[in-house]
Amino acid sequence: MSEATLNMPVMKGRVAFIFDEVNFDVDQIVGVKNIKITDVAELAQLAMQTYDPDFAKSVRPGDLLVGADNFGYGHPHYPPMKAMRHLGIAGVIAESFSPGYWRGEVSMGFPQVSCPGILGFVRRWDEIEVDWAAGVVRNHSQGTEIPYEPLPQADAEMIEAGGLVPFLKQQAAQQREQKDHANVSGT
Amino acid sequence: MGYTITEKILARAAGLPAVRAGQDIKAKPDFVLAYDFPGYTDVYFKTMKEDFGIERVAEPERFGIFIDHMVPTATAKEEELHINTRTWCAENNVPLFERHGIGHQVAAEVGYATPGAFVVHFDGHVSQLGTFGTLAIGLRRNVMEAFVSDTVSIRVPDTVRVNLRGSLRPGVMARDVFHHLVRRLGPSSCRFQVLELGGPSVAAMSTEGLQTITGLAMFTGALTAIVNPDPVRLDYALPRARKKLEPVSSDPDARYSAVHDIDLSDLEPIVVVPPTPADTHDLTEFLGLEINAGYLGSCASGRLEDLRAAAKVLEGRRVKTGVSLHIVPTSQELMAAAAREGLVSTLVEAGAFVSSPSCDYCFGRIATMTAGQRAVSTGTLNVRGRMGSPDSEIYLCNAAVVAASAIEGRIADPRPYL
Repeated sequence: MSEATLNMPVMKGRVAFIFDEVNFDVDQIVGVKNIKITDVAELAQLAMQTYDPDFAKSVRPGDLLVGADNFGYGHPHYPPMKAMRHLGIAGVIAESFSPGYWRGEVSMGFPQVSCPGILGFVRRWDEIEVDWAAGVVRNHSQGTEIPYEPLPQADAEMIEAGGLVPFLKQQAAQQREQKDHANVSGT
Repeated sequence: MGYTITEKILARAAGLPAVRAGQDIKAKPDFVLAYDFPGYTDVYFKTMKEDFGIERVAEPERFGIFIDHMVPTATAKEEELHINTRTWCAENNVPLFERHGIGHQVAAEVGYATPGAFVVHFDGHVSQLGTFGTLAIGLRRNVMEAFVSDTVSIRVPDTVRVNLRGSLRPGVMARDVFHHLVRRLGPSSCRFQVLELGGPSVAAMSTEGLQTITGLAMFTGALTAIVNPDPVRLDYALPRARKKLEPVSSDPDARYSAVHDIDLSDLEPIVVVPPTPADTHDLTEFLGLEINAGYLGSCASGRLEDLRAAAKVLEGRRVKTGVSLHIVPTSQELMAAAAREGLVSTLVEAGAFVSSPSCDYCFGRIATMTAGQRAVSTGTLNVRGRMGSPDSEIYLCNAAVVAASAIEGRIADPRPYL
């Protein structure tokens, strides 16, 4: 495990929803007809209407989403997860992710974890936590744990930095530092 | 243990003697490509200046910008975006390709598909440069890394090898090969990996067909697709290449995460049923379903073999009254060639609406469908709302099926017309 992951954002909360559909197209969260809405508060109110009309009322800051295999397949747009973050969702744990979706959300600094077996490991509203140091997802409601797949280094660093631009700024600063102090090894 | 073509290309790009799948590296792209689109290029240009203090790119010849979306413009705001792009390219001395056609095809025509090169873009359909032994990856927003620094941070991907044997029967096209791959291997079979095409039938496949298959790789979950360059592909790519590089190929003992064999002779025409590129079926299951529109074009299809297939079906026949058939060649070079071959007149005389190259038909910016309408399409994608209303439907299929369906006004089998 890269040491960078020790400073990862906290992923500890309830399982606010389980998307058990494989190849889940995240645009469905807000509905394709709403995908061009830019007001995030409006999007948040529209989110999850077809899955659970009370979702916005029941979700709490820090809650997490759980997904099935190839979560984010299709042609994912950014508004659905912007809406989810506005509602307090702190991350996604899925059996596996579709690469395009994964990249897009990691570039927003949104923590996500690929965890084969997660669907059978949680029930809705269980209290769960990603233990970055131990490399496991813990289910506090059931007293169980399951390993997740280590993140590629750059993805972990990008999430840790809070997204693409802060990550790139950090890198640029590091490179300048390395040039300035050629005798000091990189971090 | 040998190396895959992907490992070889990335090793060179990372300046390392060798790399292996799974390794986290920083690799310098030989070429950085993008088309102008709101929220992408305009943001890169602004971020470079304002957040990173980059007034000019250091090596302009490494970049290539395309204007292929919003062509022609419909609003002043779109034209302003293009002006911003033209200005940036002129200031930076970066090559700009405006109205040459759909960028991923034009990129091959103008030499960014240099065999052995490592190319990045934000759009994943750039994978089609893999036809020429180029490793071309779509990074979405993360391509910004290549605009503000020399390198991109990536993990060297594993490779799934697909060996093609046999040959396609009449009425079956490269589109069907790709959709069959999704059906056989699954829509997540190549997740975060490279789809490498090989086997005895690759050499006999058309370059255009390989561009179609590699260009759609993302729907198997692949980061990109690649073909070990053979003489036919090298004959096309080397004279156009923008950089002198030694073409590379996978070693015979390269390590693959999986190897699959596909016999092309077994394949049938396929339709991909909305609203997901994962839902592939035999064409015969959907024959007779009424349609309102047909679209033949896109970066995936719309090349000469597609236009020829459509012309063969449509020659001496008429598009059914009430059906709109839009045919959009993928590039100006291809459109001119189609005109010289007489394909354009055949298509127009049959009632097709033939337009100059543009990406705009593929995502519903023009020829927009309303609720309840249904299209057959060679576009890239069939998700809800892709070509207009979220309550319209897109059935993806090959060019001959689009043409036959336009004649009958319902999903039709092209084989009786061939």
